[in-house]
Amino acid sequence: MKQACHYASRLASDSLDRPLSLWERLRLKLHLSMCSNCQNCDNNLKLMRQINELMRNNHYGEVRLSDQQQNQLHKALDKHSASVN
Amino acid sequence: MNKSDDPHTWLNEHGDYLYRYAMSRLHNDELAQDMLQETLLAGWKGYARFAGQSSIRTWLVGILKHKIIDYIRHEIRGRNLTEAVESDPTSAFFNANGSWNESPSAWKENPEDLYSSEQFQKTLELCINNLPEKQQIVFRMRDIVGEDTPTVCKCCDITSTHLHVLLHRARLSLRKCLNTHWFEKGTHS
Repeated sequence: MKQACHYASRLASDSLDRPLSLWERLRLKLHLSMCSNCQNCDNNLKLMRQINELMRNNHYGEVRLSDQQQNQLHKALDKHSASVN
Repeated sequence: MNKSDDPHTWLNEHGDYLYRYAMSRLHNDELAQDMLQETLLAGWKGYARFAGQSSIRTWLVGILKHKIIDYIRHEIRGRNLTEAVESDPTSAFFNANGSWNESPSAWKENPEDLYSSEQFQKTLELCINNLPEKQQIVFRMRDIVGEDTPTVCKCCDITSTHLHVLLHRARLSLRKCLNTHWFEKGTHS
């Protein structure tokens, strides 16, 4: 099948953003079953997605504003409130 | 002004939460602080429009979310204007038959270990910054900020097909970049 890996990489990427059609799913599955390069690519893309999700959801769980940042923000709010009122 | 519509109170009660939200999407403390400040001010100015149907926190998160999307859209635009005119950059990864020029390797590391690594995060950021402008904007919105595809399409004024094309390009370039600068390098850990 011509352009098979190129097309499979597109389907692998698309599957992260939309549900593939039945035909697309079958084609991707079939191709991945015969192609270790594309299996690796598919897994790499999934791993990148997973890492970004973990970063977004877990990595900053303990982060807080420092006292200095709190002070700066309170001051900025005062400054702007003076100009608005 | 009663307590609930005072931005100082919002800062005290929701500041950490909003800051974490901004940090987890921007990965930059100064920027996250700026976005928080703008959000509190915008919230205060627009308080009359707050209908009280959601909590103050949910309402403020909504404002912050828009600020972040706006930032990504405007700030990254113009940083690097060189995008290959309508040629498909993903072709470079494949030969004329559509097979890989360079075989992708299996990545053995665990996502649990990678996401908390400052060094990996730096490498990822570097690779994202190397992407052409449009790819960078849609990738950040979709995979870093985690917006759904209709939101990204609307913000960037593109069709879903165009979005899929851009994300495919972005992800293949990132895959290659991370492979070169992290997974095959083997000097970290």
